[in-house]
Formats: sequence, structure tokens, C-alpha cells
Amino acid sequence: MMPTEVAVVRPQRWDVPFGDAMRDEDVDQLLKIEPFRSIDADRFPTAIPLRGILKNDARINSYEHGDIIVREGDYGNSAFLILQGKVSVVLDGLDPAALGRQPPAKKGVLQSLMSLLKNPRLPEVRSQFQPNNENITADRHPVADLAQTRVFLQDVPRMLEGAQSVTLQAGEIFGELAALTRTPRSATVLADGEALLLELRWQGLRDLMRRTDALRLHVERLYRENSLRVHLRETPLLSELPASELEAVAEATQFETHGNFEWHATFEVPREAPPQDAIVSEPLIVEEGSLCDGIVLVRSGFARLSHRYGHGHRTVAYLGKGQVFGLTEAIESYQTHETAKVSNSLRALGYVDVLRIPQYVLEQHVFPAVADSVLTEVAKKHAVRCSHHDCELPSGAAGQEQAHVESDLLEFLVERRFINGPQAMLIDLDRCTRCDDCVRACAATHNNNPRFIRHGHSHGSYMIAHACMHCVDPVCMIGCPTGAIGRDQETGVVRINDLTCIGCSTCANSCPYDNIRMAEIRDRRGAVVLDQNTQQPIHKATKCDLCVDQTGGPACQRACPHDALVRIDLGNLGELSQWVNR
Amino acid sequence: MQTFVSRRLRNAALTIAALCLLMAWLRWREAGLHATSFDTGYILFAALLFLGLYNVRKKLPVLPWTTSAGWLQTHIYVGLSTAVVFGLHVSWRVPDGFLETALTALFAATFVSGLIGLYWTRTLPRKLAKVSEEVIYERIPTLRSQLRDRAQHSILDTVHAAGATTLGAFYSDRLHSFFERPRGLRYYLFPNNRLRKQLLAELTEINRYLSEPERKTCEQLFALVRRRDDLDYHAALQWRLKAWLFLHIGLTYPLLAVASLHGVLAHLFDGGSL
Repeated sequence: MMPTEVAVVRPQRWDVPFGDAMRDEDVDQLLKIEPFRSIDADRFPTAIPLRGILKNDARINSYEHGDIIVREGDYGNSAFLILQGKVSVVLDGLDPAALGRQPPAKKGVLQSLMSLLKNPRLPEVRSQFQPNNENITADRHPVADLAQTRVFLQDVPRMLEGAQSVTLQAGEIFGELAALTRTPRSATVLADGEALLLELRWQGLRDLMRRTDALRLHVERLYRENSLRVHLRETPLLSELPASELEAVAEATQFETHGNFEWHATFEVPREAPPQDAIVSEPLIVEEGSLCDGIVLVRSGFARLSHRYGHGHRTVAYLGKGQVFGLTEAIESYQTHETAKVSNSLRALGYVDVLRIPQYVLEQHVFPAVADSVLTEVAKKHAVRCSHHDCELPSGAAGQEQAHVESDLLEFLVERRFINGPQAMLIDLDRCTRCDDCVRACAATHNNNPRFIRHGHSHGSYMIAHACMHCVDPVCMIGCPTGAIGRDQETGVVRINDLTCIGCSTCANSCPYDNIRMAEIRDRRGAVVLDQNTQQPIHKATKCDLCVDQTGGPACQRACPHDALVRIDLGNLGELSQWVNR
Repeated sequence: MQTFVSRRLRNAALTIAALCLLMAWLRWREAGLHATSFDTGYILFAALLFLGLYNVRKKLPVLPWTTSAGWLQTHIYVGLSTAVVFGLHVSWRVPDGFLETALTALFAATFVSGLIGLYWTRTLPRKLAKVSEEVIYERIPTLRSQLRDRAQHSILDTVHAAGATTLGAFYSDRLHSFFERPRGLRYYLFPNNRLRKQLLAELTEINRYLSEPERKTCEQLFALVRRRDDLDYHAALQWRLKAWLFLHIGLTYPLLAVASLHGVLAHLFDGGSL
């Protein structure tokens, strides 16, 4: 008779160390050097001791001259401490091909057909459910930094010729920005000669920072300093600024953080209040009607642009990373020599990091370097004009034609924080015939397990289905004790490594959109897998992986016969406007 | 991004152009004293095979053969074209033989079911979207049971608490069967809100005879009747959207089989070799 259950040891944090297991001697050596020497080991709980973090959440990597340590644009889940040698941080973008970027492995036609034939009939069948190191390294689609791919740059001096770079020495930390903010790496880092680095995955870094004030302050200072110039260079009007002028701007730039970094824990609360109260309760960055004192650049997170309307505030647009607020007013003040009033309010949506460049700095170092006609054009492009009925939005992020999205749809997307989703599943209910071809296609490409639910919050004829949106700020990654959930290095897709997932549900509970499901797993014979100690079923977190291994992209979108379903960046008003106004 | 209007215009223009080219080519063939019935027959059969292939594409979503929406667009315009090719093939006359009549009937049924399906897939989703709640078809029976249980519990609680039986009797007479059973085939074919209106009117009417606790329950029943009717409406329209496809695909297989037989017989009785 076929067994219905099978008992195994429940997977635990640190079952799979970060890379090759550290030796006790290595940990002893680390505890003798800064910053670990100054850390009080007694402040760590018994379950997560300092030694345990260094042994399991860290690894020591040695690099040859020219080895790429991190690449600009990669999503990294770890920070690096230089133990020996030095590294070069290349601030300019290098050629992606030279950086060894390879497209993710896709299934061929035969492979796809074979997988279809092999799909088990029962749900959530696993051929393997015990993690081991061999399987992690053999994973064809490595998640985040679990794969130690090493790319070597052939001719470093030639590659770096003319590029701006900074050298970091032993004892310095880098990579913490991407690790802690769940953002892509902002620069490429190369080994400059032989170098020995301690790589610390972000779960360990977070635990260390939580209990070590000095380390926390140190990392926060680096976090504030390291990416400023890179960000400024990506800003309109500043990209062509001479280096000396840019330096002056950087010196005067103020850093501000608004809102709560763990916004996902509280974002449901304001929605229960009347909408006008919810907006007012959001942290105010700039108030409508105040005198313009410079521009605000969004560094990470989202901010709401709103305009007073009747007794409330109407959402005009939302700004994401790299977008600018107040440029029109700043240019107007410069051109008319009269301080203009800000025409909209800017509020933090959850959590937002902004840079503020004062007006006097713009007038001394930036505006004089730009032709008047260009300034007028830029001011026009960034202007938001509101009439009694509606508002004309600024151009889309990618510079598309003027976006036009109904105000109520904007409010819906902002209130529910769907703007966080660059791959949200948007369904046009006026075209959807409820045929479920999308669900069947998803199941067919995932061992007969659909990875989304064709249901969700809707507004008018638009529905945002419960499918992972691969968020700009993937809060699901906060708290994963094993690093099983992470971003694919090449695609930015948030994926779960099934073998290292211990089924703790942290990610599922953290996801504000309810897009991660915990599934009871079975072995090939169909037996439910149990924890041999508690006899409770073992769960694994499951969600949409955007069919990253399928040729042609997400099966759900390709399977929709009526163009009713799209995976879309809801943070990009231009893209959204085009789709809803087809 | 291309708008639906421009896509429709482009596809219609391409289809008309292709049909004009086909007719010109057939004219040219006829001018050369060639019999064009085999030409049109093979073109029609190839078109039917292509149309049937769309279902295979749906069954194999893992294969990277463009989008289903692209296939459907091609399916629609090739499908529409088959009517003209069929007319050319039969020389715009009504067939009289048994097999040809059966084949024509099958083709007509498949074609018309396709047209009706096209109309429904473009109109019914809007009607569904207007209903207050979006529901998944497979969950409807469960939701129905939940509504029935809520209605029964509220009635029983009121009867136990207040001791009044007026609303209980009304529920037993008029609402019990409404909540208990799914709607009949007639409703599925022609969904309407007559029963909803009637029941709501009756609830309004009986309201004057109810005690205070019963009135509160009556208000709950108003909401439950509306929700139940919305569910039934969803069930009827979603069922129709699934049923027509089942019929359309179901007709395809005998059509292809009879068309194949017709082709074999045509060759056999053509006097030439097969």
C-alpha cells in the first residue's frame, strides 16, 4: 500500500551555511579583528550567537587581481568586509558583456515538453526535500548569492581607462547598501591585486547591526555616503555637470529618510481610516503652498504627489527611485528671480529615502551650466497641471508620451501599495472571459501547481491578481532566516530556493499582498512529508517565479487569448497609461 | 502599444487582401481551364487544420509558440475567411448529397458557434465586471452553501430569540428553495433578475408585519438574496462562456473527420489516382 506520510528532520536555519562551512579557527581569527573584536558577544541570544553568525552567515572569499566581486545592477544579498588587500569600486557603468553577464538558462522545446509529460498528478510533489550543499551548488538557477559565480576581467587597466574609481582598503565595508535596502548594486567592485574578503549575508549583517551600535552607525554612514554621486549623475540636469560642480552639489546635498522601513507591517492600518485621513497621516516631505527651497530626489521607496481638492487631497502621481520633485518650481524661481510656491505636496508612502538639493546650490552650480531653453523644456516636462476635474501627469519614467490614468485608479494603486510591483498581474475584467487558461498555463509550467490565484483586489474593471509582483521593495525577503528567498542576479525576479526554505512562513506573513502560499509538500509517491520530531507537515513557501526558466516569458500572459492579462510595472505611469488606454 | 481599433483595422485589411488575392488566383486558374475545386478544398482543409491547431497550442503552453492572443486573432480572421473559401469551394450553392449536406451542416454549426462565441467573449465579460463581486466559477457552489447557511442561521436565531414565526414561515415558503437549489437550465440560458425583484418586493411587503428583531433579520435577507442572485448570474454567464467553447471544440473533431472523408472520396471518384 502506498504510504500517505513520510517523516523527515525539519529544515532549520544554518542547515546550509553560507558557502563552504567556516572552520572554528577562521571564526577565532575573525573575532580578533575589528569590527568583531569590539562586539559584545553577550548581547546575542543563545539561539543566534555571534560565533554562529560568523560561522554560518559568513564566508571567506579570496580573489585574484581583476576578479569581479560585485557587478553594477546585480541584486545582492550580502555585504563585504575587506580582510586583506584592496579593491577598486568602479563608479562608471562598464560594458555588461565585459562583466560576464550571461542570460539565465532557459528550457529548450524538448525540455519543456518532457517536463510537461513528467508533471505529477498530485499537488506539490518534490523529488527532493532535504537540503544539502551539493544540491545548492548544482542548482542551475542560483538564487542571489548562493551561487559563487566568479567572473574575471581580462585587462583591468584598459577596462578602467577613463572610468571613475575609488580604492577601498582592508577594514572597509562595501555592498551593504544593496544588502540592506534590497536594491541593485550601484557599482562594480574589482579585486585590485590579491584580496581576501569576508562576505556576510544580509540576515547575518542585520543580526549583527541589531546588537552592535557602532557597526550600525558605521554601516549607516557608508550607506549615506557611498551611492550619492552615482545617484546624482543619474538625475536630469546633473548628468552632464562638470565634476567640480557636481562635487559642490554633493557636498551640499542633504539626506532625509521618511516613514517606516518596515512599512509592510503597518500599511493596512491607514486604509481602515477614511481616505482623506490616510493621506494626511503619511509623513509630509514637502507641503503644497510652501516656498520652494530646492528639489527633492527620490533615492529609494515611493512618495505620493498630491494636490488639495475640496476638503481632501487628490493623488496626482507617485514618484519612485530616480524621480524628481519640485524641479519646475526651482527653475521658475531661478528664471523669475522670485521664490515660487510649491504646487503639490510630497508624502512618504511607507518608507522613502530622499536627497534634497538646496535652491542656492542649484542656482550657483547647476542652472547656470544649462541653457535657458533647456531649462524651460525640463520645467515643462516635469510640470503637473491640475484643473477642477483632473490632473495632467508628468511624463512616464521611461520618457513616454504624457500619461493619462484616471485619478481613482491612481488612488487605488497607491492606497494598496501596488505601485511597488514592477511585474504585477493586472487583469482587465472587461475582457477576461474567466476561462482560466492563465491558471492552467501556470500549472503546466510548474509541475501542475499554479503559482498564483486569479482573484484579488479590483477597482472598476481592473483586478490585481494574487501573483508575486517581484516588488521594487521586496519586504518578503526581510527576516528569511536562511536566505532561501532572494533575487535572481540577472533578471531581478524574486525566487524561492525550495531546498533551503524551512517553511517558517516569514516571507508569506511579510508579503503585504498575500502573494506567497505555504504548501504541504509530498514525496514522489504522494506521501505528505512530515517533521519526524513533531509529526507536523513540512511546508514550503511557493509563489510566482515569472517563468524565469521558460522561453517566451510568463506563461500566464502568453496564455491569455483576449489580451486581458498583463505583467506590468505599476510604478511606471506611462506603461500603465498605454495599457489601460489601448 | 497598438490599440485594439488599429489592430482590428490592420487584421481586417490583411484578411480582405488575402481573400482578393485568392480569388484572383482562382480566376487565373479557371482561365487556364484548371478545376479549382481541389485548390479551394485543400486551402479550406488546411485552414481548418490550422484552426484546430489552436486548441493544441492551448494544451501545450510550455512551448514558445507566440502568444495565445496572437493565435486567437489569427484564428478569428482565418475562421472568418473560411466562410468565403467554403462558398468558393461549393460555388455558392447548397449541397445536395448526404455527406456534403452533413459536412456543410457541421461547417455551418462550427462557424456559427465561433461567431456567437466571439460575440459572447466580447460582451459577457463586461456584464460580469459590473456585478459587485468577482467570483471564481469553481467556488460558486461553496459560496452558495455559505449563503444558505447564513440565511438559515439568521432565521433560526430570530425564531429562537423573538419567538415570532412570520419571517420564518415566509422563508420556508419563498426563500428556502431559492437558497437551497441552483437555478434551472432556463435561467442559465436566459439569466434575468425577475426572481430577484420578485423576492425583494415580497420581502418589502412582508416587512410591515414583522417584529423589530425580525425586521433586522429581514434586512440581512435582503443582502443575502442580492448576493445569491449575483452569484447565480455569475454562474450562468461563466457557464455559458465555458459551454460554448466546449461545443465549438466538440464540433471541430467531427468536422475534420468528415472533411477528411470527403477529401478521400473526392479523390477516389475523381477518376484519378489517390
